[in-house]
Amino acid sequence: MTASNSPVDNTTQTSNHNPGKPAKSGKLEVADLITIGVFAALYFVMVCVATLMSTLFTGGFGSIFLPAIAALISGCVYMLLAARLGKFGGITVMGMVIGLFLFISGHFVLSFIASIVFPVAADLIARAGKYKSKVLLLASYVVFSYGLTGPILPLWFMKDAYIASLQARGKDAAYIDGVFANVNTGTFFISMAAILVCAIIGGWFGQKMMKKHFIKAGIV
Amino acid sequence: MHSANTSTKAYLSDTGTPLRVGGVDMTFSHNTSNQRTLDPRTKLFLLLAANLMLFFHVSVITQLIMVVLFLMPLAVAGRWKMTLNFALTYAILTGLGFLDPEAMGLPWLHVVSALAVGCTMMLPCFITGAYAFTTTSPSAFICAMRRMHASESVVIPCVVVIRFFPTIAEDYRQIRNAMALRGIAAGGWGLVRHPAQLLEYILIPLLMNATNVAQDLSVAALTKGLGRKGEHTSRTVIRMRIVDWLMMIAMMVPLVLDVAGVIR
Repeated sequence: MTASNSPVDNTTQTSNHNPGKPAKSGKLEVADLITIGVFAALYFVMVCVATLMSTLFTGGFGSIFLPAIAALISGCVYMLLAARLGKFGGITVMGMVIGLFLFISGHFVLSFIASIVFPVAADLIARAGKYKSKVLLLASYVVFSYGLTGPILPLWFMKDAYIASLQARGKDAAYIDGVFANVNTGTFFISMAAILVCAIIGGWFGQKMMKKHFIKAGIV
Repeated sequence: MHSANTSTKAYLSDTGTPLRVGGVDMTFSHNTSNQRTLDPRTKLFLLLAANLMLFFHVSVITQLIMVVLFLMPLAVAGRWKMTLNFALTYAILTGLGFLDPEAMGLPWLHVVSALAVGCTMMLPCFITGAYAFTTTSPSAFICAMRRMHASESVVIPCVVVIRFFPTIAEDYRQIRNAMALRGIAAGGWGLVRHPAQLLEYILIPLLMNATNVAQDLSVAALTKGLGRKGEHTSRTVIRMRIVDWLMMIAMMVPLVLDVAGVIR
């Protein structure tokens, strides 16, 4: 198992498929893209699990804590991908693929924008640490986790919708404000803070797991 | 026609077993007849239309028309149960949205009402999403992406994601069996009591396997010429038919009328 996973083996494969040019370490090869796909699939499953848990915990209010829970549980996936790839672009592509699949599975189209902007930022941060620095990887994981805020953005849209429907029924503004006094900015900040805390815990857990399992097994 | 629907590359072919992720049935089945589903690009358009509805805060009448339009292709594709479920959910949620908590003297009903309005708005997105997910074969999806000139660096991970879902489900089952054999977190309560340990015991083997599979898939894919430059052919034929165009126009009419303020 260790033999087939050694980096030397990896490079021979990538150089085999296009013998004309030498395998550049900075560019994403097909093998890298496949690795990204595998990890994106795992990450997407994590997101689905997080959706399930978030719906269970918060009752009907759906996915308010979806990004936070996803951040809490998928630290391992992210850390292993960053360590396996160690190239610029991997995190970005994973974010894009996740965004695409969220869109296809019926999430809000703005989630696509969030899942491009934040992963690019995360990728840049991770690159600053050459995908090795633990602190910068943790920071980049936190930023990456904000990329999942896309699916919960409609909460603010649907608030508008409800206000509009209340207005249509002739309620006055003060009354509407009263209804939404503790639903709007409060929940927003709680949700955002939850992402920060959970991403730090999840990322730390992921790094701990990396040290405990993958470095010992020679996979990284 | 049937043979044309089977996957283009052997390594892409999935088992076709239904897999539930996040409550959505994801069956990338091969025998989904192309004749009875829309073109993948039309599905993408439906998704966009559903998103635009959310964006423009369409009126209830428009919403009703659109939901009926969205449910039609789902019914045509033979997903009767899903169609009925969505229709019922929509009816109930719309009804709840019209509740007047003031008149009944129950202020807490506002929570229910607000949730119902919110969910009704999200529902068109979920309907189109479920439709896109359950009726598109992987090869059709990939063919459509290539036709839309999506970058190869996005197409390949997408292929792998679709291919990899059944593998994850299978792995998960094996891991749970192995855990049960050793008496770790057996039964439903074991899941709840040690979440961190559980996460470690399930996720780490999954990741270990994922790294192996990534290697194997790369070798297989490169052997089959995925890394080749130039245009890739596909045995799956996708084309825009009249139905597709009609569907798109039918989508646009209520949406445009609503935005223009004709339907109120």
